[in-house]
Formats: sequence, structure tokens, C-alpha cells
Amino acid sequence: MSENILSKEQLLLDLLKKKFIINESSIKRAKRVEVKVDPKEIIPVLLYAKENSRYISFAHMSCVDWIEDGEFEVVYILWNPEDKINFFVKTRVSRDNGVLPNIDFIWRQANTYEREIREMFGIQFEGLIGRQEFILEDWEHMPPMRRDFDTAEFVKKTYFNRPGREDAKDVREFVQERTDEELPDFAKKYSRD
Amino acid sequence: MREKTTTLYLGPQHPGITGNMMVKLQVQGDTVVKAETHVGYLHRGFEKLMERRNWLQSFTIVCRICVPEPDPNEENYSRAVEEIEGREVPERAKYIRVMTLELARIATYLLWYGGQSGSAGLYTMGQWSVGDRNYILDLFEDLTGGRIYHMYIWPGGVRRDLPKGFKDKVLRTMDYIEKRLDDYDKLLFENSIFQKRAKGVGIIDKNKALEWGVVGPPLRGCGIKSDVRIDDPYEVYDKLDFEVPAMEGGDVWTRALIRRFEIRQSINLVRQVLDKMPGGEYYNKIPNPHKWTIPAGDAFVKTESARGEFGYYMVSDGGNKPRRVHVKGPAYVHGVSLLENLLEGENIADVSFIMNSLGTCPPEIER
Repeated sequence: MSENILSKEQLLLDLLKKKFIINESSIKRAKRVEVKVDPKEIIPVLLYAKENSRYISFAHMSCVDWIEDGEFEVVYILWNPEDKINFFVKTRVSRDNGVLPNIDFIWRQANTYEREIREMFGIQFEGLIGRQEFILEDWEHMPPMRRDFDTAEFVKKTYFNRPGREDAKDVREFVQERTDEELPDFAKKYSRD
Repeated sequence: MREKTTTLYLGPQHPGITGNMMVKLQVQGDTVVKAETHVGYLHRGFEKLMERRNWLQSFTIVCRICVPEPDPNEENYSRAVEEIEGREVPERAKYIRVMTLELARIATYLLWYGGQSGSAGLYTMGQWSVGDRNYILDLFEDLTGGRIYHMYIWPGGVRRDLPKGFKDKVLRTMDYIEKRLDDYDKLLFENSIFQKRAKGVGIIDKNKALEWGVVGPPLRGCGIKSDVRIDDPYEVYDKLDFEVPAMEGGDVWTRALIRRFEIRQSINLVRQVLDKMPGGEYYNKIPNPHKWTIPAGDAFVKTESARGEFGYYMVSDGGNKPRRVHVKGPAYVHGVSLLENLLEGENIADVSFIMNSLGTCPPEIER
């Protein structure tokens, strides 16, 4: 059985390698095939997977900020309901002015994912139609899911403390000062090591 | 004479669903001509918060992503961590997890009974089923200490073993719920008002359902046998004997019938799990959570929740915090692209009714 499944996975990889420029490919485990491609190969690979290899179900789309590389990694996850295989297609774009092709003509629900990624990471999708705002409203700052967006700093700058709580101190520091007592190092105290 | 188009804002607070979400409707007379989902009323930035917390701290956040059914979130989060790390989970813990998930499924369906019938104006049904749901919440309180948020399934297993006498208590509750289902049938499914409201309303095209990303009871209500528990078995579902009900129709009525069958199936699963549950350890201890690092890698895990396929995409960069956790609930598709499409041509009075039948849960759209 497992040999049979693995051969199906290998078959998909072989077909893709023949037709497209695949930068990296792997079978991570049973039921999981992964390829890495350039942004220009995204539409051909996804269309081929859907039309020719029965990966008709669009399971997920996600974005990861690799700030140290100056790139975003966008992941498309497809599902083949017959062979029961997850197919991962990964691509990378620049953090500064990343543009990806729009795929909502292949799966219309991709529109929602793309709108969210545009709003939360700042990646543009060519020809994406849909309200600019999805979750955020009147947002003028950096896209908030970027790694360099500091939530705590943003809150400090944007909001103010209730009168009497201007210091906004950690309650443990506050107790320490008032009681003049050294609080235990909880990490050490409850360590299992 | 041209009919005037009026804009109607349904929500963000309304009786149709759990949580806040607005649907902007363009209506002509009583008929919806265009619908647009607006979210953002519940955005709490959970995914961003998780990037600042260590692996164990994040697990207390995930259950808050969906109030009616938090357990698939806990299970998904834990399984994603375990898959990246390669951590083994004791067999007993897997059985306990399945029991928890199935109990959560029954509780969710009982709450859904209330929502679905309430949006048709049948309020007695909701009072009965939500009352009975409390017996399941009592079980959760015994098991985990919490009624709604359990924080029970965590990486490595479950937080504690079954308390003394718990098995008998669960079996008694299952007998009671099973008996009550006949009463529910009389009250809801034999009710002509419900039948007239539900039949032929909110029809999903069977040929397009898989392509549109429909999952769970709405997909099985189109006659497509698809269930993560069977297609991509996790925990110990492959060791249990059960079938996935599927019926042709694609309307609200069929989706309701599917859920009705699934409650019975879940009761059967809970009994099987309790019968087959082995002894032994229930937790494979993790190291000191403050120092716990997970090798670099990524995972996409899926669970069949009561509303459909729930997925977590998780990335680790080798550190003590997740690099990225991306939650995909069924409502992300059901509540936006599918709903917008289904509502066109429907009556205003059916909007909440359809939303409920799709299991729309706004918190998981915006996390």
C-alpha cells in the first residue's frame, strides 16, 4: 500500500520536472509532495496540478516572513481527493516590492487568501480584484504580520494608559518594589531539568 | 418599472451565528442580489501573538479561535508541533484525544441545533439541545477543569488522565443524549415549518463543491463522501469502525440530516474509544518549556471538526517560538466566498438560516 502511494507521489514529481523548471522537490513523508518554484512558474504548475493530476481541491495558502533573507515565502497547498495526497508549492518573493500572480481564476476562494496576504504582509497580486480592506480598517501603518512590526511598540505609541496606571509596569516588578522582596525565578523554580 | 436596489447591513451582531460578522446585502424587494462579507470585528491577532510566545504558551491561545468547538484547534496545534519535532504520543493519549474530539463534536452539533432552529423561529429546540449540551460540558469540566476552553490536548499527549468513574459517567451521558435525539427528531425534523424552510434553500452545486473548497457536512450534504478522519486518518481513527454519511441534495435540509446522523455516529465512536482504550502513559513529557526548541521545518495538519476540515500550517525556524502559525478554519471559505455566492437570489429571511447551515464561525476567519 505504502509503495503504491509513494509511487503516485513520485509520478507527480517526475511529470512536473519534465514540464516545468522546478528549483527543489521532495517527498517529505507519505502523502506529502513539495516543490519550490519561481513566481513565474506558479500559474502553470498549479493549473497543471489541477487540470491534469486531479489536485482539484485548494486546501490552504500561507505566507511566511523570512526577514533575515529579505524574502517572503508563499505556500500553496493542494489536495487530491482521489489519491489522498497533499501537494505543497512554495515560492519566494522580495520583501520590498514582492509581486505574485493572482490565482483566483483557478480557485475562486484563493481571492480571500490573497486579499489577506496583501493586507497582512504587503505582497501585491497582479490583477487581484476585491476590496482593499479585508480584516483591517483605515490602517496606515506597516502590514502587521511582517516580522519587523512590533506589536508592543505599536500599542505603546498608539494607546494611552488609564489614569493611575501610567507606569504600565509588570505586576511582578510592582510587587517587588513594594514589598522589597526578591521574587523567585519561576523559570528555574518549575524547571524539570 | 425598474425595481429599486437597497443596501442592507446584516450584522455585525445578529442571531444567525456565533461571533460578529457583517454581511452587506444588496436587495431588491425581499431578494438578495449581491452579498459581501465584512469581517474585522473579532480580529485579536492570535497568529501574531503566537510568534512572540514559546511553544507551550501558544497552546493556551489556540482554543480561543473557535468558541463553540475549541478542541480541534488544540489537537491541530499539538499534532503540528509533534510532527515537526517527531515527538511520539502514547497510545492512550491518542484514544483520549479522539474521545475529547468526538464529545466536542456532539456538543457543537447540539449548539448548532439551537442556532439552526432559532434562525427559523423555532426556539424550543434550542432550549432543549443547549440544555443537553450542558451535560457534555459537565464531562469536560470533570476531565479538564474547564467547560468551554479546555486547554487539555497539548504537545506530547493530554494534560491529565481520566478521573475516577469518568468512563461510566460518559457512557450514561451518551445513553441519555441518544435517547433525546428521538425527541429532537419529533421537534425539528418532523416539523413542517422546518421542512418548508430548509428544503431547496441554499443549494451547493455538487460538481463544483470540491473545487470551491467546501468541506465537512456541507460537502457530505452534496453526496460527496469526504472526511479527514477517513481520507487522512489521524490519532486512532483508522482503528475505529465507522462510516461517513453522505446524501444528495446540497440544501440546508440535507446538511441538517447529515449532522443528525453524525451525532449518532459520534456517540458510537465515543463508546468504541472507551471500550478499546489501552492503559499506560497519557503524556510524553516535554523538556522545560522555556528552553524547549523545535527543529526547523514545517507541517500542515488537518482535523475533521464539526464544521469541516480544520487545518494548521506551522513553521519552525529551530527556535523556542513558532515562526508562523496559520490557522485555516472551514468558515474561511464557507463564510466568505461560498456564502457570498450562495446568498445571491435567496430571500432575506433565509440569510441567517443559510449562514448557520454552513457552520459560519467568524473568529476563525480573522483569528
